[in-house]
Order: sequence, then structure tokens, then C-alpha cells
Amino acid sequence: MRIRRLFKWTRFGIFAVFGLIVLSTSILCIYTVDTELSAEYEVNTQNIAKTIADSSAGILLNQNLATLQSLVDQFLEVQGIRYIYITSETGEFLAHTFVPGIPEEILESDHSNTAPVERSLPGMGDFIEVGSPILAGVAGTVHVGMDLDVVALKIQRAIGQQVYLISVMLVLGVLASIWFVNLAAKPLGELLAYAVELARDGENDELGERDLLARDDEVGHLARLFLHVSRQGAGRGLPARVSGAE
Amino acid sequence: MQHSLGPEASSSGNWGPLVTRKSVMRSGLAALLVAPFTVSSLAAGRGQESGGSEAESSDLAEGRGATDEEIVLGVSAAFSGPSRGLGTELYRGAMAYFNNVNENGGIEGRRVSLKLYDDGYQPDPCVQNTMRLMLEDKVFLLFGYVGTPTVTRVLPILKKFQDEKIFLFFPFTGAQPQREPPYGEFAFNLRASYNQETAGLVDNLVRIGRRRIAVFYQIDAYGRSGWAGVRAALAKHGERLAGEATYSRGEKFTGSMRKQVEILQGVSPDAVICIGAYAACAAFARDAVDLGLDVPIANLSFVGSENLLKLLTEGQDDAERYTRQLINSQVVPSYEDTSIPAVQEYRDLMARHDPQVPADLVQEEYAPFPHSFGSLEGFLNAKLLGEILRRLGPDPDRTGLEEAVFSIEDFDLGISERVSFGPDRRQGLQSVYHTVVEDGRFVPLDDWGARFG
Repeated sequence: MRIRRLFKWTRFGIFAVFGLIVLSTSILCIYTVDTELSAEYEVNTQNIAKTIADSSAGILLNQNLATLQSLVDQFLEVQGIRYIYITSETGEFLAHTFVPGIPEEILESDHSNTAPVERSLPGMGDFIEVGSPILAGVAGTVHVGMDLDVVALKIQRAIGQQVYLISVMLVLGVLASIWFVNLAAKPLGELLAYAVELARDGENDELGERDLLARDDEVGHLARLFLHVSRQGAGRGLPARVSGAE
Repeated sequence: MQHSLGPEASSSGNWGPLVTRKSVMRSGLAALLVAPFTVSSLAAGRGQESGGSEAESSDLAEGRGATDEEIVLGVSAAFSGPSRGLGTELYRGAMAYFNNVNENGGIEGRRVSLKLYDDGYQPDPCVQNTMRLMLEDKVFLLFGYVGTPTVTRVLPILKKFQDEKIFLFFPFTGAQPQREPPYGEFAFNLRASYNQETAGLVDNLVRIGRRRIAVFYQIDAYGRSGWAGVRAALAKHGERLAGEATYSRGEKFTGSMRKQVEILQGVSPDAVICIGAYAACAAFARDAVDLGLDVPIANLSFVGSENLLKLLTEGQDDAERYTRQLINSQVVPSYEDTSIPAVQEYRDLMARHDPQVPADLVQEEYAPFPHSFGSLEGFLNAKLLGEILRRLGPDPDRTGLEEAVFSIEDFDLGISERVSFGPDRRQGLQSVYHTVVEDGRFVPLDDWGARFG
């Protein structure tokens, strides 16, 4: 006989608690990863812009624009960076990486601005652009565009991995809890069946020989109690195995 | 990937300067069968690659790059990819000269060998090849590199190893980085610079009233170098760039340049100067004509004129459809002008040797031209380097290279212009020539006004 109703709410409670843990952990994880990685990418982009700005000061002063372009091209190999451009102090484009040409939005922007700005460039995608002044801006400005789609993909991948891990833990936890509940419910079911048998046929001597009566736990105690009550009602003493067990 | 150069067995039984493992093995077996007397020179040619004599291994290990038998020059160039024609033509011209030198006893008894690597006109492979040439192959000097984005990345390596005194001779680029501090002292140039080429184009275009000049360029160090040259030349005339459009290095002729043409059409230029390689520039010229951008389209010498012309005329009913507006700047005289002694010598040696790129370097089919501006430049490069090596004397040493180069003063290379070098003069030639297409070939442009005015 199976015990279903007794642990119904227990199971529901386990599901609810685990679900709540997974949900809250996932939300926290998404928020943390998104915030941290976004900030990290932005900082990295700023660092790259600053590195280019620091490296290009001497090159710019020598008007060695081929070397400047070579420098810019190398940084374009960094994952996520989709464009770089360097403008002079007068706003002239001295080096860039745009193909087939410099987008209108970039041409019309304020080239001296170094604060992070989000751009949506037709045919290219969405970007966060950061700038860094060269020689405090008197020699020009470096601008680096980080592809937001690449950043979003990275973040999604990181979050996906975290949520996947938590979900696996949820499933394992629920399965384990069900197994433990079933482990506890099984002897209770046997006890219930035993009690029913005693009620139906308490005179049967075979009922005094069951393994259940030898258990050294609450179920065993209850089984022996049920047998005792049953035998007392019938005017008979306890069988030897039960006395020994007690 | 390492590519060697199979020794070229001539009918006289002499061996050419190129050596590789595979080809040496292959050719070596043939040599043993047909010309036993060549075996000793073959063994010497193999150098450290094929386990040559202890003496020569020792010499190379010491970093001399020269043994009693040979002088090894290191080459990294484009032998594959869309720009493979540039490396191939330059190499063929150089080998025509060096084969002849080797046939005639070499330089001070030493054959000149080339250690070849393919970089596909890409900077990273070029850097790796250069490190290998310097540190493993221990070549005597670097020679015949192709391209600005490649050479620009190699220059810091030369500076890093400046104590080794390994110099880069006559790269196929007119960019400024190897002509100016901080890297100018590690390279020697023969050809005129892109600044001189672009200035020549701009000055002539402005002179005939074409002042609105736009630029179509490869978005890398080469394109930027030419862009800067056009910009500076225009500034001298009080003008600015009318507009610009770009393409990525490695574009093929089959690609579309319509967006670039449309961008430049938007600024209504009087002329367009292209700074690119032949495949992309041919695609641009084709699309410009197709879209009605009917203005002169000028190219720099690096473009590879013959390959450009071939792409634009092959399979066309009207062969001049895409070439009427072309102007190509050159840094060597016309290879058709046999009144020039060096041109005649070049043609004779090309016909005699017809050098081919070693088979293990050939990844894609390429049909070389009997004559080209690229191979003539390679020939002149080799001829001048041969003279420099001779001036090193019987015991060549890298430390004497600069002095040998600076001893070149008013040297007659066989073209109209004489060559001089000095501590403040690291470029041998200054002349720029302009050509247009007529009857399916490039001919000198004498009258800009009549043609494009």
C-alpha cells in the first residue's frame, strides 16, 4: 500500500522551494553577469582606446599615418571590436577601419567626445563607442566601437551556462528529495498494510513473525504496538519474537 | 609553411640559386644521374636544411648567412592569394638576374641563393616568416618583400634585432615607414615612394583642371600611406580630398565594388586615385564604368599593371571599355623601351632563364607575363643588390653592408636615372613614370591635357 496523500504537500513544498531558489539565483546571476560583463567590456574598450591613444601620439606627431593605420588594424583583431577611428584635433579622419566608407552618423558626430555612447549603424549593427584623447585632446581622439551583439552573445552564453548549472541542480535535488520521501513512505505503507491485516485476522500466528516487528525504529515500535493491542483484545499474550525484540 | 626553391638545373649543368628540402631531394636524384659533377654544389646549396658539410653548418649557425659557396637571401612575399601575381613577378625578375650571376661564377665565387616563404600578402605570416629567416635560417639579409602591411609589421623586428645587422633590401612598397625614423635605418629602398607617385598623379591632374580628386583605397597601412600622399599633394594645391571609399585587403575581382563607386559618385569627383592591388582595383574600375563614373582612374605602381589589364580586358568584346580612363603610375621605365640598356638586359635574361616560382610554393594557378613592370623592378633590385654584394669584397659580412650601400654613388644601373645612397639617402631612385593603355598594353602618357583634359 502506497502513502500518497501524506507527502503530497511535502513534495509540493520541495518543488516550490527549489523553484524559488532557482528563480532568484538565476535572476541574481543574470543581473550580476550582465552588469559585470557589460562593465568589463566597456572598461576593456576604454583601455584599448587609451592604449591606442598613448601609442599613437608619437606616430601622429611624425605624421606617419601608415604606421598609425597598422597599429589600428592590429587592435581590430581583438574580439568584439568592430571599428576604430582616429580623428585629428580639427576633426579630420586620420585612420579608420570602415568599409566601404565612413558611416554618416560617425561623420556627423562630435569627434572630441570621449564619453561612452551607444550607436546603431545601418548595415553594421549596434555598438558602444568609447573615446580617448591623444595628448589631452590637442593631437586628436581615438574612438573604439565595441559590437553590442557580440557582447550580448557573450553575456547570454555566460548566463546560459549559469542557469543551466542551476537547473541541473534543481532537477537532481527534486529527484533526490522524491527518493528520500519514498524511502520514508515505504515502511509506513508496510505498517499500514500490517495494521489492516491485524484488524482482519488478528488470530493468525503468522502475523507475529513478520520482519516489520524486528525493526528498531518508530515503524517497528508501532507494528509491535498494533500487534500487542490486537492480541490483548483477543486475550492472548505477545509472541516470543515480539517480546525478544522489545 | 616553408617553401624552398628548387635548384634550377640549366642545360649546362649548373645549378640555380634556389634550394628547398623537397626540390633538392628530387633534383638531387636527377643530378646524380645526369650530372655527377654538380653534386658538390648541390650539397653546398642545401645548407642546414639538408645537412650540408659541418663547415657550412657552422658558418650559418654563426649567423653569417654566407658560406664560402653561397650567400643566402631571405624572402617573404605573396605567392598565394589574390595578390600572388605581385610576388611572382618580382621574384621572376630577380631570379633572371641572379641565375645569370650564378651561371657566371657567382659573386666572389659564391652563388646567390634565395630562401623563400609565402606570406600571402598577410602581416602575421610575414612576421613569422621573418623570424624564421632571421633566427632559424640565419640569412645574410632580407630581400624582395612585398607590400606595406607586411613590411610595416616587420620593421619593429629589425629594430629589435638591430645588433644582428640584418637589413631589408628593396621591398616592393613605396610606403613611408621604411623611409623614415624610427625604422628607416633598417631598410634600403630602390623605388620611388608612394608620396612621389601620388604627388605626380595629383600635380598632373590638377594641372589639367581635375581638382576634385577622390581616393579608393585598401583599408590598411598601404592604403593609408597612399591616402596620406594624395592628401598631402592636394594640400599643396590648396585642395582637400573630395571623398573616399575603402575595401578590405584580399578582395577578388569577382567581388562587387558598387557600394564604393556609389559613395564616390556622391561626391562628383574629377578623378579617382586607387591605392590597392590589381584584383580589387580592376573590380572598382569595372564597376565604375558600369555605373557611369566616367572620370580618370589612376593606380599606383604596386597595383600590378599587367594583371590589372588582363582582368579588365579578358573576355571583353570591347577591350578598351574598362581601360580608356586608366592611368597607371610606374617606378621603373617601360619594359617595351629596348633603347634602355637595362631593359634590353632584362628582356634577354628573362628570355634566357624564364624563372618560375618553385612548384611547392604554387597553390593556385598563375600564368606569369613574359615581361612586366613588376619583374623589371625585381630585376633592377637584384642587379643593384648584386653590385652591393660585390662591394662587400671576398669576405662578406653583414657589418659591412651599410658601408657597401653608401659607397653606391652615381651608379649606372642601366636606366636613365643614376643611383646614389647615403646615410640620409636610403632610396635609390626618384623617378615616376605615367602610363595609359593603348592597343592592349601600357604605353607612356606624354600629354595629360590631350588625353584627360
